Amino acid sequence: MSTANLRKWVGFCFIAIYLFVGVPLWYKLTTVYRASLPINYIESLQNDKFQDIHLVIPVYVKSDTYRFPDIHDAVQVQVNHLLNSKEQRVPWSLQILPYNETVQNVEEKENQFHVVTLMLDEFIGYTSAYDTKETVVYYDDAAVLSNDLPFFVAQTLVEHTFQLEWTHLNKTNEDVSTNNQVAISYDPNIHLSITLLSGDGSPVAWEIEPTLTDYFSPFRKFLSPLVNFTVDSSIVYHNDLNLHSLNRSSANVTWFDLSHTIDLSELSSMTYYPEDSALNLAIVFPSVSSTPNGLAFVNGTRIANSVIALDWNSYLVPQWGVIIINKNPLQPNSVISEDYLEPMMYRFSTDIFHLLGLTEGSQELLSPYITIDSFKRLTILQNLDKAIETLWSLVKLTQQFQGMSIPREVSANVVEALDLRLEIIDLLNDPEKGGDIVWNNALRLSNELVKLCEKAFFNGEMVQQNFFPQEHMIAVYLPLLGPISAVLFFGFYNVMKEKNEVKNETEREAAKEKTELEEAEKLHAIDGEDEIMG
Amino acid sequence: MIGSLAYCILGTLLLGAVAQDTAPQIGVNDSLWYPYDETLLLKPLPNNDLLLSFTFQLQSEAFDPAVSSHSFDVYEYYTTFPRAIPPLLESTATRQFHLRFTRGFWDALSWGQLPHGGKQAGASGVELWSLVQAADQEQAFQNWKKLANSLSGLFCSSLNFVDESRTTFPHRSYASGSASPLFNDTENLYLMRASLPNEPICTENLTPFIKLLPTRGHSGLTSLLDGHKLFDSLWNSISLDITTVCPENGDSLCHYEMEAHIDMATHVPSALARNERPIPKPLDGSSLRCDTDKPFDSYQCFPLPDPSETHLKLSQLFAKPIKNGNLFANRPTKICADVDRSAWTAYLSVDDTMFSTHDNCFELSNDQNESGSGYDFVLESLDTTQVSPVDPVPIHVGRSLTGNGQDRGGIRTAFHNDKDTPVKLIYFESLPWFVRVYLSSLQITSTTSSQLQEDDIIIDKYYLQAADRQRPAHLEFTMIIPAHSDIVMTYQFDKALLQFAEYPPDANHGFEIDAAVITVLSPESGSPVYEMRTSTLLLSLSTPDFSMPYNVIILTSTIMGLIFGMLYNLMVKRIVTVEEADKIMLHSGLKYKLLKLKEKLLKTKQTKID
Repeated sequence: MSTANLRKWVGFCFIAIYLFVGVPLWYKLTTVYRASLPINYIESLQNDKFQDIHLVIPVYVKSDTYRFPDIHDAVQVQVNHLLNSKEQRVPWSLQILPYNETVQNVEEKENQFHVVTLMLDEFIGYTSAYDTKETVVYYDDAAVLSNDLPFFVAQTLVEHTFQLEWTHLNKTNEDVSTNNQVAISYDPNIHLSITLLSGDGSPVAWEIEPTLTDYFSPFRKFLSPLVNFTVDSSIVYHNDLNLHSLNRSSANVTWFDLSHTIDLSELSSMTYYPEDSALNLAIVFPSVSSTPNGLAFVNGTRIANSVIALDWNSYLVPQWGVIIINKNPLQPNSVISEDYLEPMMYRFSTDIFHLLGLTEGSQELLSPYITIDSFKRLTILQNLDKAIETLWSLVKLTQQFQGMSIPREVSANVVEALDLRLEIIDLLNDPEKGGDIVWNNALRLSNELVKLCEKAFFNGEMVQQNFFPQEHMIAVYLPLLGPISAVLFFGFYNVMKEKNEVKNETEREAAKEKTELEEAEKLHAIDGEDEIMG
Repeated sequence: MIGSLAYCILGTLLLGAVAQDTAPQIGVNDSLWYPYDETLLLKPLPNNDLLLSFTFQLQSEAFDPAVSSHSFDVYEYYTTFPRAIPPLLESTATRQFHLRFTRGFWDALSWGQLPHGGKQAGASGVELWSLVQAADQEQAFQNWKKLANSLSGLFCSSLNFVDESRTTFPHRSYASGSASPLFNDTENLYLMRASLPNEPICTENLTPFIKLLPTRGHSGLTSLLDGHKLFDSLWNSISLDITTVCPENGDSLCHYEMEAHIDMATHVPSALARNERPIPKPLDGSSLRCDTDKPFDSYQCFPLPDPSETHLKLSQLFAKPIKNGNLFANRPTKICADVDRSAWTAYLSVDDTMFSTHDNCFELSNDQNESGSGYDFVLESLDTTQVSPVDPVPIHVGRSLTGNGQDRGGIRTAFHNDKDTPVKLIYFESLPWFVRVYLSSLQITSTTSSQLQEDDIIIDKYYLQAADRQRPAHLEFTMIIPAHSDIVMTYQFDKALLQFAEYPPDANHGFEIDAAVITVLSPESGSPVYEMRTSTLLLSLSTPDFSMPYNVIILTSTIMGLIFGMLYNLMVKRIVTVEEADKIMLHSGLKYKLLKLKEKLLKTKQTKID
């Protein structure tokens, strides 16, 4: 009996070691490494993606004829008023500043600012320049007298010059992106693949080299701050994109028939592009053998307002590119001249704007410099949005799979990305900064941001570890932990129970002795009685 | 700028629209052609076998390696050359790569030398080697890995399994005939090689291959190529070689050259029989060819050898004719037959008209085939045993595994030279790291001469020891095999134990070991004249029972649990003397409980009686 306390003490020690050393140690040794992520910050960003953004675009007002010392302040008031009339999804505003020498010094060909030039004329109106970021507002003396000029300038700026921002950054527009069903998702490097397809095997040639150099190089250069294109051209024989299976005599081939017949698989397979996105232009000529008289449904394409190319139809394939179907098959040894290809190239370059999401529907690109500038800003915002989405997905993923490891690298990438995001936002929010160099830089950084977020999300180590599920771990450890825990706890229970048992036992023994005694006494009494009786 | 561009385009456009009526926009140039050459060589082999050798040659447009494709004025132009290849070469800085898909057994004893001097045939499985430009070996390997992964996707093969443990940097073997240019003088070219021994070759590898060619199976010789026929042969090989060629005269423009080969050796009677009976069924008694000199009836028949007369049509062999020739190619499609003219005649059949030529070579020009029914090629012979002489192979090499047991083994390579002159060769072997070679056990024996020493045979040794999971063992021996001799080279190795996760899903199948590559050198110039590969080997390693780790865990855990339980009980349970225990047992324990129960029962009985 004397060892009872010691044994209890031993049992207690075992339990204590089990609970306070064993369990934490086991937990420590079996848990996967999960680096900490700024979950709360990412969650708050996800809830309000543009919480710390207030996009400020500086606009300089220049007046040649009259000097208006306070015009910029007056315009600013009007602009603010106008912008406040619509609830904004992404806060943005214009900073109207006077055009002075400092701006003039900074401004150059490669680093332009938005400038509004006020010009005295006989009528009121505005134009946007083709090759600069300049908006010219025409006014007459009456407008000056009635003090309508600031409002007119403000209206021109908000509703015309910054039309893209005006439409895309307000509350009614669900998405910041200019992305639609047609446009591909933005990527700074895009491959363009231009293919001449002939349904026959007879040799054909095309003057593609001069055409591309003359008409495409300036285009590439122009879009280079936004998108870098790499271009290839090729000739493919014996492939008419399955046009031969169309009812060749019928002129009522509908768009629907065509979209079900055209087979682009061979153009998209067996390619290797180092770039992530690709756009295609397929110029297809039907086969002589299957379509000797040409395709009847091809009735020409309107290229610009007045010019019509009769020999081909152009079709935009959403997120893929453009198909140009020619009416007549190519004769053997044909050489397609630059003249023939030119309108096609023009058509293709207008369609590229659609495919990139720069323009929508039948919109024409009238002031390309201004549009591209706005597009850059929208792309930056879109990238910021995408980056936060990616980070949020990462957070969700890590929370959903508790057994998944989070390497330190992921955490470092996330922190770096969030810092980079703040750096971009500083550029966007600064009212002083607004030249081409700044936007290009912000765009480049935002592309980097997207890359960085994706790098964090697609970390190979993170996904690999997920193959080791929690159940597996339990299955492996249970044969050891089961018996040990059972022995330990039941043993402990027994030791603790022992005292009671012992107590019970003594009580029982005492009671027993008592009853025995009583019985004995009873017997004795009976005996006594008998004796008396006897 | 785009505005000016748009106006500029519109301006020219308007002018163009006016000019449209006067000048035709699609002109004609009669001298149009593109670099593409295809030939088919048919060579009857002994035993009614036939070798078909397809060759395709292409050349890319010239390019300037110094100009980046991101530059605004740089465009890549393709005409016949596959568009998928150059970007791949550029992104991996690869100057040349060689890909082989080979399957089957080449019967060198009766068929002689491999086609193209063995240079286009790989070892059974997939083989890839390439020359990559890089600043250091590490960078070269990264490029090589990228190349292998990309080709894996392009050709639907498992080349993505090429990693450092399969890659060797050949020392003297795999020397390319042509020099490759170096675009950056501060960097070097690295030759790397890897193979997937005995990898199955299938239609999915052939289809992308055909799509690389400009005819894409629609015309010319590619219209014959069909996976069912090609892979039904005794031996077949698909090879692709891409090289970068820069003129030596200092001209900055380079171009890529592509050479593709499809070679197959097929047994003609079985191939034709397969056409007649796609599902193998026993022949009717009437169509059996029995030896009439011997007794034959409904129950017994001594079969005659294959008939020695033949009238073989290519359209029968491939179940389709050759569609038109290639109009855009600089050279017309060519079919040649290498036959013994005394016993064989070759015809080209167009619209039921037969043509023959003095050299048995035919060019398919489209003028002849006006109806579009296609071309057919006919080989006729009264005695198929008379074939044009086969080139004997310079050396026969056989390689096999020796030893038994699961911990060690050996490799035995036998060289047989039946020529009058000694043969100089390079013997290349790449062994996986789990084969731990003892080079000290290397022995050379000769069955024909006992005087020969090891140094007489192996004149130069290159050996790079394997590193576990990082590098295979790499052996390259320059050897001279004396005339009329049989040389046997043996060495021993240990089999390493693999880690649990390193076993492939079908671990009990065994591990395929690369074929040895033998490059026969010319005795005069020392340049390679013939290449051949031995068969691959199948090594069985000790393979665990894969439930074993779990069993071990359970068993050890149980034992640990038991031991712990005992110790714990010793420390925690009350220790009493036997008397005390007996005393306790009197008031507890099973016996006591039974007694109690009995007592209870008796009591109730007593009350009932009362």
